[in-house]
Amino acid sequence: MQALHQAFDLSLFWDYRAILLNGFGVNVLVFLGAAALALLLGLGAALLRVNKFPPLRWLGTIHVELFRNAPDYIMLVWVHFVLPLLIALALRRRVEFDPFFSAVLALGLVYSGYFAETFRAGIEAIPRGNIDAGRAFGMSERLILWRITLPQVVRRMLPEALNQFISLFKATTIVSLIAVPDLMYDVSMVTQQEMRPLPLYTGAALVYFLVIFILATGVRAFSERWRRKILA
Amino acid sequence: MGNWERLVWNQRDVFIAGFAVTLEVCLIAFAAAIVGGLVLCLTRLYVRPLRPLAVLLIEFFRDTPIFVQLMWVAYVWPELFGFPKSFFAAGWLALALQSSGYLAETFRAGIEGVPRGQREAAFSAGMSPAQTFARIVMPQVALASAPSIVNQFTVIVKSSTLISVITVPDLMSESQRLVNVWYEPIEILTATAAIYILFVFLISLSGKLLADHLRRRYGLAAT
Repeated sequence: MQALHQAFDLSLFWDYRAILLNGFGVNVLVFLGAAALALLLGLGAALLRVNKFPPLRWLGTIHVELFRNAPDYIMLVWVHFVLPLLIALALRRRVEFDPFFSAVLALGLVYSGYFAETFRAGIEAIPRGNIDAGRAFGMSERLILWRITLPQVVRRMLPEALNQFISLFKATTIVSLIAVPDLMYDVSMVTQQEMRPLPLYTGAALVYFLVIFILATGVRAFSERWRRKILA
Repeated sequence: MGNWERLVWNQRDVFIAGFAVTLEVCLIAFAAAIVGGLVLCLTRLYVRPLRPLAVLLIEFFRDTPIFVQLMWVAYVWPELFGFPKSFFAAGWLALALQSSGYLAETFRAGIEGVPRGQREAAFSAGMSPAQTFARIVMPQVALASAPSIVNQFTVIVKSSTLISVITVPDLMSESQRLVNVWYEPIEILTATAAIYILFVFLISLSGKLLADHLRRRYGLAAT
């Protein structure tokens, strides 16, 4: 009973609110960086996968299968501890990654695999005739991509992409494991100082749950409307 | 190549032992998640008074990041509820809780996808609700959700890398131990990543083949 009381006594969590809020801000920053990178690389990989030239198509497939099947945590550790060494071997000088940089790069790579598949599904759903019509008007391939393909892809993939953003945000909680000072990192630091894991971990779980629950509920409601109105 | 032999091939017993623990934790978590998901789903659909609780649990398990849930189960639950008693148990329990939330929603979609008329037909043929559920509804749910269930196993395997943080000696944790012994992360971590990627790839490939097979054999929609 005392444990129960202690577990939900969030005053300790509240005492450290400035540090913890700061940590949560780091989560958001990692998320923004990784999301931008994942969108960019995902679009690149999707375009490779629908390319006419087979070797480029294979390259796209390898990118997708490699990153979609890799656990976030092993990618994070690999990018942080192995990639700098490989680059150092190639450049013959010492290279080290800032943990924040590694976190953005690793999560961006992993989620680019998921985004590539979403983009590809969107691209393949576009009727062939739209592209042929663009060509008949004398539009260049690049113009067709920007004016015909991408607007429709974005419209079609939006609900799916929002879900993936939420997964990515959840994944940012593991960056504390390579010492990026996010919310979980601060929680483990304060826990070591105060020797009371109960309120802090409960508080962290509740904060993440509330934020993600609100986002996920919003996305679900939005997707429902979007599917009915835009994709009908 | 000498490095690969020294650091990976000669350490294969360590890798194998770690992989065995990973496999064990994942299989226990998978089985528990299927049972838990079924319980949550049935409670949500058929036990009116407990419905809000089931919905809350499903949402909590789905929306809380797995790492946060793992730490919470590993460090808070023992003081709060007196279990889990070991980090091994905390590991599979946290993985199972998360997946049970996702599977509960998969099962619900499957159950709601069975046309009402079939249930009514079963009732009018004199089947009890339990019989109807076991003979008419459940087989279709199992078929329709089989590919998603396999996919959920890939999520469990990916998330299981995190149990190394609470000192469960899984593949991830054994490979990090090797890195700390030899100070040569390149070969060890690359090999570890390759093992995980290959394993997850094979599971999702079999999920895809299973989905194709079911679609052809029973004419089910893709999921």
